[in-house]
Amino acid sequence: MTHHMLLLEEALLTRHGQRFGGFDLRVDPGERVALLGPSGAGKSTLLKLMSGDIVPTSGRALLDGRPVAAMDPLQRARRRAVLPQSHQVAFGLPVELVVSLGRWAGDDGGRWVRQALSWASAGHLLGRRYDRLSGGEQARVQLARVLAQLADVERGLLLVDEPLASLDPGLQLELLDTLSRFCRERGHALVAVLHDIQQALGGFERLLLVSRGQVQADVPAGTAALPALEALFGLRLQALQVPDGGWALCARRLETAA
Amino acid sequence: MDALLKAPRWPALPGWPLAVALLAVAVVLAANSGAIPLGLADWQALLGGEQTQGAMVLAQLRLPRVAFAVVVGAALGLAGALSQGVFRNPLAEPTLLGIPSGAVCAVALMLTVLSAWAGGLPAAWRPFAVPVAALGGAWVMCGLLQGVARLLVPGAVAGLLLAGLALNALAMAVVGLCTYLATDEQLRNLTFWQLGSLALASWPVVAMLGVAVAGALVMSRRWGQGLNALALGEAVAAQVGVPVVRMRRMLVLTLAVLSGLAVAWCGLIGFIGLLAPHAARGLVGADARRVLPVAAWFGAVLLLLADTAARTVVVPAELPVGILTALFGAPVLFVLLKRAQREIGGGW
Amino acid sequence: MKRRSLLSAALLPAFVRAQPQPRIVSVGGAVTETVFALGAQGQLAGVDTTSLFPVDATKLPQVGYARTLSAEGVLALKPQLLLASGEAGPPLVLAQLRSAGVRVEVLDDQHRFDGVLARTQRIGALCGREREAAQLVARLQQDWAARPKPPAGAPPRVLFVLAHAAGQLRVAGEGTSADAMLTLAGARNALAGVQGYKPLTAEAALQAAPDVVLCTTQGLDAQGGADGLLKAPGLALTPAGRARRVASMEALLLLGFGPRLPQAVAELTDRLHGRTA
Repeated sequence: MTHHMLLLEEALLTRHGQRFGGFDLRVDPGERVALLGPSGAGKSTLLKLMSGDIVPTSGRALLDGRPVAAMDPLQRARRRAVLPQSHQVAFGLPVELVVSLGRWAGDDGGRWVRQALSWASAGHLLGRRYDRLSGGEQARVQLARVLAQLADVERGLLLVDEPLASLDPGLQLELLDTLSRFCRERGHALVAVLHDIQQALGGFERLLLVSRGQVQADVPAGTAALPALEALFGLRLQALQVPDGGWALCARRLETAA
Repeated sequence: MDALLKAPRWPALPGWPLAVALLAVAVVLAANSGAIPLGLADWQALLGGEQTQGAMVLAQLRLPRVAFAVVVGAALGLAGALSQGVFRNPLAEPTLLGIPSGAVCAVALMLTVLSAWAGGLPAAWRPFAVPVAALGGAWVMCGLLQGVARLLVPGAVAGLLLAGLALNALAMAVVGLCTYLATDEQLRNLTFWQLGSLALASWPVVAMLGVAVAGALVMSRRWGQGLNALALGEAVAAQVGVPVVRMRRMLVLTLAVLSGLAVAWCGLIGFIGLLAPHAARGLVGADARRVLPVAAWFGAVLLLLADTAARTVVVPAELPVGILTALFGAPVLFVLLKRAQREIGGGW
Repeated sequence: MKRRSLLSAALLPAFVRAQPQPRIVSVGGAVTETVFALGAQGQLAGVDTTSLFPVDATKLPQVGYARTLSAEGVLALKPQLLLASGEAGPPLVLAQLRSAGVRVEVLDDQHRFDGVLARTQRIGALCGREREAAQLVARLQQDWAARPKPPAGAPPRVLFVLAHAAGQLRVAGEGTSADAMLTLAGARNALAGVQGYKPLTAEAALQAAPDVVLCTTQGLDAQGGADGLLKAPGLALTPAGRARRVASMEALLLLGFGPRLPQAVAELTDRLHGRTA
């Protein structure tokens, strides 16, 4: 029996009368997985089950064979990191302090702070107050924090929850690239909740399509996934080949209900 | 910059000797002020062990009072800084949050409804009935408020203040009930106790509060970086490995002990817990590891100044110091609110 | 305690036990009045906030509210004697004053005439004015014997309303100085069966059914006169309210139980029994 880094077995969450799951899936080191689906589908819930922020009502969510939610916080922080949706930070903490908090579970790695900031192209923000940064700059700093957390870890898990909303497209692509490279160098698995199908297809190998609290499809990223995507979003999708070898996606609403 | 990046558990606070020296100067100046005029000769007599009248006044009346102001001020400043950290809100303060009201509520119950029961306690325990009640009330109130604050997003000042207002109102309603049921004697005891005064200074109480403040400073050192992590939000703090529930429990306990002890012996002294952390942040930045001890220092200095004024403004009478801190604290709070509104960007 | 004896030893030169006419701080309106009545006002170093009669008392240094005395403040006036009417505090401060060598005497009158006499004599002894005290006691007894007796017949039901803060009316039950005064004046407290002061409610007022509502002058002014007072819940519908029988007397005179007690009782008796307005 192969051991998987992250294993969900019939992980189910019932809350306020809503059912999310049961989720059955496995993630291995080095994989890049995109979670796609309409709003309210349960993507964030699934991510929280993976990160150990939520305890499943029934079923199991295991990281390295142990239930994630029950792990010692310090040990868990050395195995997985989460880049959250919201970037709010109370008080005017300086940027370097925010990033250094990613090192809470590790040693007092001042060098990792500087390094992580440069990976996130945020080295110029050193010394600034976090609450005075723009949205894009704050996103970079949060990314740096997460990178600092897993900088000296191998084959860990990096979970990303729609952090790219309201960032300019150039920045979005840049951050995704950074994440990809970082994870590849260390063998981390990357699981990201995204809204942009194009980004998902471009930067990830595996797609989990989530809707109505269930994983509807677990498919490799590529043109073969288009029918499943169409069913998921109720869109008509067409993949167009572009001259430099990539794909561009064109989406249109279906005229009639499916 | 490198010192900060190295992120030692306890970053060196530059100017520590200066801060201690300034406090010592403030203490000496405060000890010199009061209804009875004292001078250098009295200090010399005290240090030389002579028992002149001036030396005795210093040793028995002034110095205990001044030491009391220092430890109570430090307790209030530290409790305020801890509240702001735990509730992730720069306008949190034990008074605004109703924690002292919880203490007042418990003391009101102890002095009125439960006074017969309290009178039946063994004589050795009776002096502790009010302080223990105050501590218990502060603790319960803190727990209640925590539950509400957890539902709030950081920066939602209005929400937190409203929750505090509501709990304040509840506690005060109970106090009102006790007031109604009280006999005259009980009522007078309660009213006097609430006014906020450092008149009950004595060396044993100073020692007790000193131990509490020292313990709280140790606690602050342990959890300073954890409070910084909490500023990122509870979920994120947990994600980076902070044992959020355990930390919060310890800090709330510390906060309730500090605030409860202060209220137990001094009644309601407001605004120190709000202003001291602000002054600290203005001076050393928002890093909780620095803010906590500096807030204690500012609290000590502020209360020392307020109490010295209380003792000298209407000589030979004495103003309750809680009135002075409110008189000066309220306008400053207004200024802070305006500034906070601008910074948070009208989010409330 | 060692500390205490050290303190008193240090201040011994300031306090001589056999001092015939000690410097006094007086706490309590009636106590201060008595000191003045004995001619000892020259010995007064300070008084509290309730010492309002005679007018000269208000010109003396103020030690503040009786229950929140400041040890240093009192000591700064260098008294040898603190005379207090029973509410002085806090206890810690009194202890500090005692250990500083100040003689602290708490004198209660128990809301009775003989209590007033006993207190007068005690104050005279403490101030070194025994002769004046004996004279004052004799005069008080004379005035007391000569006071008007209430007429025969059912005593009027009187409700005493304490009305110093707007909207916060309290009424006096048994065990209060107001209740004692009513008894002395031959009236009946309409609020029977209640101890101490209680907030006024409409139902309680109606059930009490007073014939007269009694107030202090200060309180009546604070309520805006009889019209203002009778707007309180229920009062207008009582017999007193309908007949507009509201009587008032100056607070210290009425409730102080000081040297003017015979005069106060005489005036109150007349007022309540309708002999004067």
